[in-house]
Amino acid sequence: MTVADGTKPTYVYGLVKAGTALPEGLAGLGPSGRVSTIVHGHVAAIVSDVPVDRPLGVRGDLVAHETVLDAVASRAAVVPMRFPAVVEEDSIVEELLAPNEDRFLALLDGLENRVQFTLTGRYEQDAVLHEILEGDPQIAGLREQIRSLPEDATYYLRVRMGELVVEALEDRRDVEAAGIVDRLGPLAVATASNPLAAPEDVVNAAFLVERERLREFEDAVESVGQELAGRVRLRLLGPVAPYDFVDEE
Amino acid sequence: MSISTQRSGGGGFVERAQGGGSSSLADVVALILDKGLVIDVFVRVSLVGIEILTIDARIVVASVDTYLRFAEATNRLDLYEKGGKDLPELVQSVAEGGARGKTTGVIEAAADAVGDVLARGRAEREEGRQRPVRPRPRERHQ
Repeated sequence: MTVADGTKPTYVYGLVKAGTALPEGLAGLGPSGRVSTIVHGHVAAIVSDVPVDRPLGVRGDLVAHETVLDAVASRAAVVPMRFPAVVEEDSIVEELLAPNEDRFLALLDGLENRVQFTLTGRYEQDAVLHEILEGDPQIAGLREQIRSLPEDATYYLRVRMGELVVEALEDRRDVEAAGIVDRLGPLAVATASNPLAAPEDVVNAAFLVERERLREFEDAVESVGQELAGRVRLRLLGPVAPYDFVDEE
Repeated sequence: MSISTQRSGGGGFVERAQGGGSSSLADVVALILDKGLVIDVFVRVSLVGIEILTIDARIVVASVDTYLRFAEATNRLDLYEKGGKDLPELVQSVAEGGARGKTTGVIEAAADAVGDVLARGRAEREEGRQRPVRPRPRERHQ
């Protein structure tokens, strides 16, 4: 496909302050593999070419987007764009950077020397089911009833018991998650909660952490993980670019 | 995915995953597909399709299947022996659980090639009409 100058499709990974040096060896998702910046005033867009002959969205595209942003975030403030962000080359200055310079600068100022961690937690299924059975006579009673009957006869009882178990999980995880976020929140500049995908998920929260408190935060997560060991398994992703902290509301 | 269960000075109670290329695909999808800044200038060339699939995948399904799964787990629980999964098995199941659902369909999403979308956006702008844009509540700015 041939395109006129200036209308060349351009991929935008994110925004940095003008003068930010990109790390060596970044690999873009375009055919050239190169990543560069387009500067306007005090802000710059991290850009590359785009494959134009196929849809974006294969694994390599997603990974390239995140890898570029995380690499930049490891040393400088960066505002991540949501995948996929494609514009014509001309629009980068005219429609993206110039009209939004002050707003982008304010966002970047708020992210200076800060990185994101994402903490997820999941119940150890058997342990938490034990707790629920011990604490809920109705569920324990249903279980005994189901076990005393042939399987064919228990379909509705099993659905009912499962529903009660899921409700019990959801009740206790809200308390659990609040406890975890309360412990770690004071070590972070901001927190953001993400929706949970499964009933056994306990917590999914992002934390914006000052670079200089990074180790302190990691140690705190480790100690919460130690306290919850056997009941909840925590997983900490990061440091990554501040994907969850670019909403301006 | 890079899993380091041990860290200098740490006890290894928390599974760790680094960002960048070493993340699992599920992590990448969760981070970049519905997060990050969206500017109006991008909307007309956004590759519709990916978004729909990820939103669908994130809906918490409290279905009969879910209830039966938990009923089954509750039924087979041995009340007299508090045994859990061993660690490697658990790490694996967590990783697989995270990957399931979130990545479904992403690879085959986005039917339009970038060149086509851009060309269409350009043509529509020249004709002075706007392509309908689905509401994107988290992305309204100004």
